[in-house]
Amino acid sequence: MNSHRERISPVLITLAVAMVLTIFPLPSALVPMRPYWVALVLIFWCLETHSLITLGNAFLVGLVLDLLTGSLLGMHALGLVILMFLVTRFRARLRFFPPWQQALSVLALLLNDRIILLWIISLEGDALPPASFWLAPLISTLLWPWVFLLLDHYRSLARHHKAK
Amino acid sequence: MMYGLLAVVLMAMDHRGQYVPRFRSLAGHLVEPVHYVVEWPVRALRGVFGYLQSTQALRRENAALQRDLLQQKASLQRLDAMMEENTRLRTLLEGASSGRRFEFQFAEMIEVDLDPFSHKVIIDHGRDRGIVSGQAVIDGAGIMGQVEDVFQGQSTVRLISDPNHALPVQINRTGLRTVAFGTGDTAHLSMPAVPREADVRIGDLVVTSGLGGRFPSGYPVAIVASIDRREGLTFAQVMAVPIAALDRGREVLLLKSVAPDPAVPDPAVPGPATPVPATMAPAASEAAPPAHE
Repeated sequence: MNSHRERISPVLITLAVAMVLTIFPLPSALVPMRPYWVALVLIFWCLETHSLITLGNAFLVGLVLDLLTGSLLGMHALGLVILMFLVTRFRARLRFFPPWQQALSVLALLLNDRIILLWIISLEGDALPPASFWLAPLISTLLWPWVFLLLDHYRSLARHHKAK
Repeated sequence: MMYGLLAVVLMAMDHRGQYVPRFRSLAGHLVEPVHYVVEWPVRALRGVFGYLQSTQALRRENAALQRDLLQQKASLQRLDAMMEENTRLRTLLEGASSGRRFEFQFAEMIEVDLDPFSHKVIIDHGRDRGIVSGQAVIDGAGIMGQVEDVFQGQSTVRLISDPNHALPVQINRTGLRTVAFGTGDTAHLSMPAVPREADVRIGDLVVTSGLGGRFPSGYPVAIVASIDRREGLTFAQVMAVPIAALDRGREVLLLKSVAPDPAVPDPAVPGPATPVPATMAPAASEAAPPAHE
């Protein structure tokens, strides 16, 4: 029980940071370029730890994100659940991809997520988003290798700390 | 799979139903402190920049503001006289004054970036300052929206650009009454119920009509930008551009209706069964596509 809790704390911390980054105010020109931080962090932990990121957890994270950003309740939850399903499905392959290939698969995953989002938005009756809507997955992909390295470093630090 | 279904059901219920919004407003209390924490460094930075501003710039700004104030005061004087005259004429005409008085409350937006498709902003006034759900929110230029959820120290404002929002308006020039719906785009409102042969021109000012009792009458809302009177349409398709800075702006005013003089009967306060309530008019939800079903 104790070891389980210690393993989950870095996940929670990084997720919290990702959420703060999600609602952190940016100049309006930069807003469409905001990476989907929460998805990146979730993908990382899903690839690295086997059992922590279940679909249920992804759903809960999505709900918190929906509450934070004031979006339609369940919108991000659905997106993240589908994302996590795909990642767990192809986890064995994704893990051993070289970084650039991994980044490309992340791009595919995030584009898929945007398409789902688009579907929800249009069902809700909103106007179709501008072209900059598709910018966020690209930026996220460019950032993915660095996010990966950073989180990996953090993870080994946390693990080291625990061993001591 | 099950979670996916659950998410879809949740969305449908949030879009249509009663219970999920209630859950949302409860859960909002938990999220509230996070918004404060996120916004704190921004506020701190702004404070620092405020200190660094030079005396020269401040003096210049002060002078400009005073000039503005003087101008506004002058035009207010005229307005006061006109209001007097107006009430006098009204009393002569129908023996009643429809004047509801309003108080303004100054609030600031909390600068966190919400989902751009949520058509909401957060302001830094909540239950502790007596905000109630349904209050009209304006900025210096025009109507912005109305208060939706009220939390302890902050509340969320639903913007008029939300596709589920309907606002009773009238064309200022002719007095033609209609309803302005949000389109999901902060740069456009749509007025789908204007008769084809109605006298509407591009550039006409659209103001609130005060019907429904939620928004006070006479506040500027939008300017007519395009009119489509094609053959075969039952109604003209009128699009208008909101005047208020829906997606920018930082300072807002909250309108609070003050109880009118009990001596004067007040026909402007409608009963609960007004045909066009300001928010979520049934027509709006019917016009929307049947979402998530």
